[in-house]
Amino acid sequence: MEKQYRLLYDENLCIGCQACSVACRVENSVPDEVYRLQVHLHTKGEFPNLGMNYERLSCVMCENPPCVSVCPTNASFQSKDGLVHIDERSCITCKYCILACPYHARFINPLKNVVEKCNFCYETRVSKELSPACVSICPTDALSFGDMRQKHSLVHQKSHKEVLVFPKAHLGTKPKVAFIPNRKGMKS
Amino acid sequence: MAYLQARRDFLKLATTGATATVLIPGSLGALGEVALRGEDKFVRSICEMCSSRCPMEARVINGKTVLLQGNAFAKEMGTSLCAKGVAGSSQLYDSQRLVSPLIRVGKRGENKWREASWEEALNLVSTKLSALKERYGARSVIFSSKTGEHYDLLRSFASAFGSPNVFSHWSSCPIAIESAFTQTFGEKLHRDFENANYILNFGHNLFEGLDIPLTKAMAHFCANPSKKLVVLDPRFSIIAAKADEWHPIKPGSDLAFVLALLHVWIRDGKFDHTFVEQYTIGFDNLVDAVKETTPQWQQTLSGIDANMVERIASELYAAAPRCIIDWGHKATTTQAEYQRSRAILIANILMGNVEKEGGIYFTKSAKRVNALAKESIVPELNNPYPRPQINEPRIDGAGEEGAYRFVSKQHGVLTAIPEAILSQKPYEIKGWFLTRHNPLITVADPQKMKEAMEQLEFIVVNDIYLSDTAMMADVILPECTYLERDEGISTLTCKVPTYAMRNRIVAPLHGNKSAIEIMRDLAERMGFGSHYAWKNSSELRAFQAKGNAELLQTLLLRGVASFDVPYFCALEPSLVERFCERYPKSRAWVDAQGCFGHLLEHLKTPSGKIEIYCEEIEKVFKGYGVPRSVDMDVTQGFPYVLTSGKSAVHTNGHTQNVPYLAMLLSSNPIWMHPSTAKAHGLKMGDTFYLQNAIAKEKATVFITEGIRPDTLFAYMGFGHDAPSLKRTHGKGTNPSTFLSLESAPLCGAMITNVGVNIIKA
Repeated sequence: MEKQYRLLYDENLCIGCQACSVACRVENSVPDEVYRLQVHLHTKGEFPNLGMNYERLSCVMCENPPCVSVCPTNASFQSKDGLVHIDERSCITCKYCILACPYHARFINPLKNVVEKCNFCYETRVSKELSPACVSICPTDALSFGDMRQKHSLVHQKSHKEVLVFPKAHLGTKPKVAFIPNRKGMKS
Repeated sequence: MAYLQARRDFLKLATTGATATVLIPGSLGALGEVALRGEDKFVRSICEMCSSRCPMEARVINGKTVLLQGNAFAKEMGTSLCAKGVAGSSQLYDSQRLVSPLIRVGKRGENKWREASWEEALNLVSTKLSALKERYGARSVIFSSKTGEHYDLLRSFASAFGSPNVFSHWSSCPIAIESAFTQTFGEKLHRDFENANYILNFGHNLFEGLDIPLTKAMAHFCANPSKKLVVLDPRFSIIAAKADEWHPIKPGSDLAFVLALLHVWIRDGKFDHTFVEQYTIGFDNLVDAVKETTPQWQQTLSGIDANMVERIASELYAAAPRCIIDWGHKATTTQAEYQRSRAILIANILMGNVEKEGGIYFTKSAKRVNALAKESIVPELNNPYPRPQINEPRIDGAGEEGAYRFVSKQHGVLTAIPEAILSQKPYEIKGWFLTRHNPLITVADPQKMKEAMEQLEFIVVNDIYLSDTAMMADVILPECTYLERDEGISTLTCKVPTYAMRNRIVAPLHGNKSAIEIMRDLAERMGFGSHYAWKNSSELRAFQAKGNAELLQTLLLRGVASFDVPYFCALEPSLVERFCERYPKSRAWVDAQGCFGHLLEHLKTPSGKIEIYCEEIEKVFKGYGVPRSVDMDVTQGFPYVLTSGKSAVHTNGHTQNVPYLAMLLSSNPIWMHPSTAKAHGLKMGDTFYLQNAIAKEKATVFITEGIRPDTLFAYMGFGHDAPSLKRTHGKGTNPSTFLSLESAPLCGAMITNVGVNIIKA
């Protein structure tokens, strides 16, 4: 692998303000009513013993991506730096990948009639050494992004300081998006 | 790298332009063209999707805005921006924006229009306003705007026209706390969240009413396990969810809690005696006023256990002075609003956190820093918006004799407008000029406001959408959005002197004009063009900067300018020493304690000191000179209290129709506790009626554990009546319709917590 990208989502810093979601829409011209990225908030518990859970939903960039293995046309593919991409020209919209993805990260772009998902803003930003739009915009620095091989990067340092949770780790998909779980309030 | 490279190239262009050492008015535009050429350009400006005015940056490719983000030249921002800020481009390119001046053809409010040229529209406005002035006097026209540069401009225009009746949005937002600050400190202070260890918060929800630098500091505070945040709020807001403790206090009773806190500290002698003695007056009056406000007494009012108050009081004292009792930014709740705000400020004072790290501090303005350094280290600005004194009484009596004598003349009392128009007292009101102001959504009792507007001879509205208020106009002037206009220099100063400037990102898409252009043109047509020393925004900037080309250049390229002045707190000797090392002449000010104590001893209060007791207030409003228990009831005999507040994706009444934001939050179902919903037989999503003495309105229920059973909550700004706002028209409930025009004593604040009944549909 040429890069070991990681995107860290710190639930303790997230305020559910949706700035990331709008930034994603603007940067990637995501059509109305569909999302590459969503953050959901859920209130848990009974008054007055309450807590709030934060859930970030997007492609988690699996190292073992089920969407790639089921794709009949190789439109879903993994690049040599480990990112999962979709080649729009080869996509026949068969939806196998949508069914295979355990993270519900894929959707059909109604304007182009092809499958789309988060690609870490690869073409417009990451390939130019910029952070994905959501990371750059986040008002509270809840997101950090970078190459884990760079020891001085925030993402590296934070990864070694905090307890990380990898979504649906039991599936063995090995996501590149990691979570720092919320410490406050009632737990679900 | 590419980003850095682009930025470097950009700065290189800046240096090329820097040869222009002497800037003559009018040359700035040319300079801008040089600096802003290029394919993939970055333009730094100021956001205007809410009132926080965060410095931001736009990436523009081929003349189209690509992404708006924070301006990293403003250290506290980084590249951060909120959802509203990022959605600014969707407002810019919104097909529902107004692009042509409109002139009314039907009856007032009927929403029938014809398009007009700018020439015709501006001519009509100037002719009509001049005619009103001729016939009824200049005072017969009122002017209103939200606070900010628009307001400074409008105020200047109004006084040149000759009317004293200028209103900002203050009385519907921060007026109580602003007034409390004026009377306690003579000016407003800021909160050092970064260095605080303990924060007590009364529902100041920086996570839904975002101001990026403050929000970011607060988020890091909350995520730090060694710090403590206690939130008192009837609703489980986002900040409550991030707190270490959340106490669902009864709406309107904050004052009782703070008075009990003061009681406990004074009872136990736990306060900063030295500070109180040296820098304040009136402590004895406070001792007397809080004699009976025990934790037990407050329990019946606030619903918070007496022991809890004792514990929090002791924790706060232990954490002082790195401890803040947060006063919020829109704190209007009850009749007791002024006393509540003052009590919070005085609780901070007793902790001795003033001008201490992690406490509260005075604005370190250019003027203050220069005086302290005894040299000119930061450029000071000219005021481009002159204001001749108008010697006419205001329609609301603000700043004059009577109920509103302590209300700032500059900002006025919005809720007094309908009565003044309808009664034509104290004199005839015939016209209203509103710029980017939508009182039919954001001010109490819009029904009455509309009735009053119907009586007027002429209304002109400057807006970017055909809003509810614009529908009542005779002429609508479609302004360009903030991304399409240049403005003057604004002051961002908190800890260090900082200026920012709004630079246009793209050319106006449809020939829309900026408020600066509109006002300047009107002034010319109405014969007072000479009132202004400038003819356009370039000249305005040059005049404001006193021809300082370097400053203008920095602001043009970086969007912000700060001056490497070291941050200091006047009562922190080590920081004072650092300042003196840099500016040796300032040593003359240092007192025996190694502090700049004089900064706290010559305030703009009548006594020059921090006033715990205000004699001037007490003389006119008996019992108000010192914080005391006053009317905290917000139910008015109704079983429930309707409260309202912000969401992170909308601003007051003006973003509900912005495409990307409408998609995220398109309505405001009323928050209700499950037990309350059950008692009224309501299921999630059911329709019901809210009713009180003023209104009966349909609403939808959102059932949640996150609210007290006796309280209801609505995100504000919904319930728009204007069909042109297609995405939001008819959606949700406007909480303002239930609010009375009676404002809070002394400060004139609109009261936004109100008693209501739930009626099944």
